[in-house]
Amino acid sequence: MKKLLLPLAVALLASAAAVRAADVPRAITLGLVAKSQGNPVFQVARVGAEDAARDLSRKYHLNIKIDWRTPNEEDAQKQAEAIEQLVLAGASGIAVSCSDANKLTDAINSAVDNGVPVATFDSDAPASKRFVTYGVDDRQCGQQVMDELAKIMNGRGVIAILAGNQNAPNLQRRVQGVREAAKKYPEITIRDTYYHKETPQDAAAKVEQVMEANPDITGWAMIGGWALFTDHALKWQPGTVKCVSVDALPACLAYIRSGHVPVLLGQQCYQWGYRSVEHLVDKIVFKKDPDAVKDVSALVPVNISNVDAYARNWDKWLPH
Amino acid sequence: MVPRFRQALGFQESGLVLIVLVLGVLLAACSGTVRLPAFARGPDGVRHRVFTTDAAGNRAPAFVARNKFFNAQNLAQLAKDTSFIAIMAVGAGIVIISGGIDLSVGAVYALASVVGSLVLRHYGPDGPGAGAPGLGILLGAAAGLGTAVLCGLVNGSLIVALKVHPFIITLGSMAILRGFAFVITKGQSIGDFPAVFRQLVRYEVGDGLSLVPLAVMVLVMVAGWIFLSRLAAGRRVYAIGGNELAARFSGIRVGRAKLGVYLLAGLTAGISGLLSLGYYGAATSGDGQGYELNVIAAAVVGGASLTGGRGSAAGVVLGALIIQMISSGIVILGIDQNYSQIIIGAVVIAAVVLDNFNTWLGRRRLAQSPP
Repeated sequence: MKKLLLPLAVALLASAAAVRAADVPRAITLGLVAKSQGNPVFQVARVGAEDAARDLSRKYHLNIKIDWRTPNEEDAQKQAEAIEQLVLAGASGIAVSCSDANKLTDAINSAVDNGVPVATFDSDAPASKRFVTYGVDDRQCGQQVMDELAKIMNGRGVIAILAGNQNAPNLQRRVQGVREAAKKYPEITIRDTYYHKETPQDAAAKVEQVMEANPDITGWAMIGGWALFTDHALKWQPGTVKCVSVDALPACLAYIRSGHVPVLLGQQCYQWGYRSVEHLVDKIVFKKDPDAVKDVSALVPVNISNVDAYARNWDKWLPH
Repeated sequence: MVPRFRQALGFQESGLVLIVLVLGVLLAACSGTVRLPAFARGPDGVRHRVFTTDAAGNRAPAFVARNKFFNAQNLAQLAKDTSFIAIMAVGAGIVIISGGIDLSVGAVYALASVVGSLVLRHYGPDGPGAGAPGLGILLGAAAGLGTAVLCGLVNGSLIVALKVHPFIITLGSMAILRGFAFVITKGQSIGDFPAVFRQLVRYEVGDGLSLVPLAVMVLVMVAGWIFLSRLAAGRRVYAIGGNELAARFSGIRVGRAKLGVYLLAGLTAGISGLLSLGYYGAATSGDGQGYELNVIAAAVVGGASLTGGRGSAAGVVLGALIIQMISSGIVILGIDQNYSQIIIGAVVIAAVVLDNFNTWLGRRRLAQSPP
């Protein structure tokens, strides 16, 4: 009997250990490198990535961890260093929003050559070996801003473009889109494109300066919502100057309610993080490539009729 | 402990070396292991992934387990990341030792990079000078370094001629130079350099180790050490930083010496900018934003006194290395990045406090020693 018991106990222990080993979820660390810590849209992307990590961990019995490595201020060199460090720290995949595609191409290629798949979001590096890019089509985005603005200005007036960082290629393409679409409206004149440091205060100050110097401006095409991240950025009476802006963060929604901004075009910032993680998990765990390298996300129009419904999304999207 | 260690090793920066060693040991001990893909060089000299084949004939990529911090790739990466700031910090450190300050080094770095990049692109694969990449590299380097030296010279001349505090002059030139960089590039990223230039700076040895930035950093540090401790011009910098009036009365041509230190700060910013061009392959007018503060932090952590008269080239390089080790350590240990600025800021303050305490101890020992 004793002779039987010992092998039985060993077999039981071994099978228990095997079950436990099979129970341990596979650990996956995904690096997330956005453009800058201070920009709220990237904090929303981070929440999206962390939510996706939690949801997909549960769904596929994985242990996905998001390693957020974003420079404090926009700096492509720091982003490249972060990608290199993530590879050395053993990240399984990386999602990056490129401040300068040229500067990041080598770092992305090196990561891919080292077996770490890279996805881009918001701002792409088209010449790199990234397997997917998720975000808006920037030229179309600019065109949509102009078309919406022309609609509410009845196709006539003097407009200005608020354009953020002059070095960002995605913003340059949006400006190009605005200018291309403006050609369809001969009675609309573009006064100029105004760049500024991408902080809400700098953006609001730029709008104020431009309006002081150009009181004849009757419309603003804002290709990013920086100015609307502050209260009272638009000092005019609602309806006197028309404005269409990209981004629909909670602070921006107040301008819809006050009537200062009839239309916001919401970028799916939460999805930047969520979809990037989904793509990376598909690639790493299931060896599955996306249907197309460009995964284009649509802009969500927000106006007075749907502003309250849209606002409820932020309970989920904001950092908890 | 630090003074004893310094006494034992007998050189000024031993305390900083001790801090680097302690940090290294701590990071190696706490970081754990990481599975990195295995590579091997083929007969053509190109690195290829290593694959294993199991009994069923399935190929799978091979991995090797290594300490996250203490492995050759990570140390080479650490050296490379340190080098861009450390090279600039040597020049800016000499300015600080002379009692001055240069807030424009980040902007000089950007302007030198974009000027160099425009010339290099002309000789790049799609440029009109594609047939002469060697000439392109020489002209690109000359244009970048020449621009940087000119910026330093202008800074120094304005400071000496107008007798305005260097903080004000270099604050102004910081904005002007960045503005020039933007006007020249029209906000575009400039890339497409001759392949040979990229290969030269990214030249790899052994297991994919990129050591050119490290080699340049060491060369600049040695040159800075020779200048400061072996040449009369370097001794004059200490004299001016210690007491400018006394230096003037002892016959030192203060204006000329100051011109020289700002020129050196420009030159090192230019070297760093060129190196980053080769390594990262592009330049924009936004490059190097905020680097002036990183450079000053490296110099201060490395023992340079903001009131002048004290510091060394090796010290500022070690200061840059310590800051980079902490920054890399935050990634390696998986600490939430939200805390990185708090940690690095605290280290800079702690370094200054420790340095002051060390100086006070030294003075007390000197006062107590028998005549």
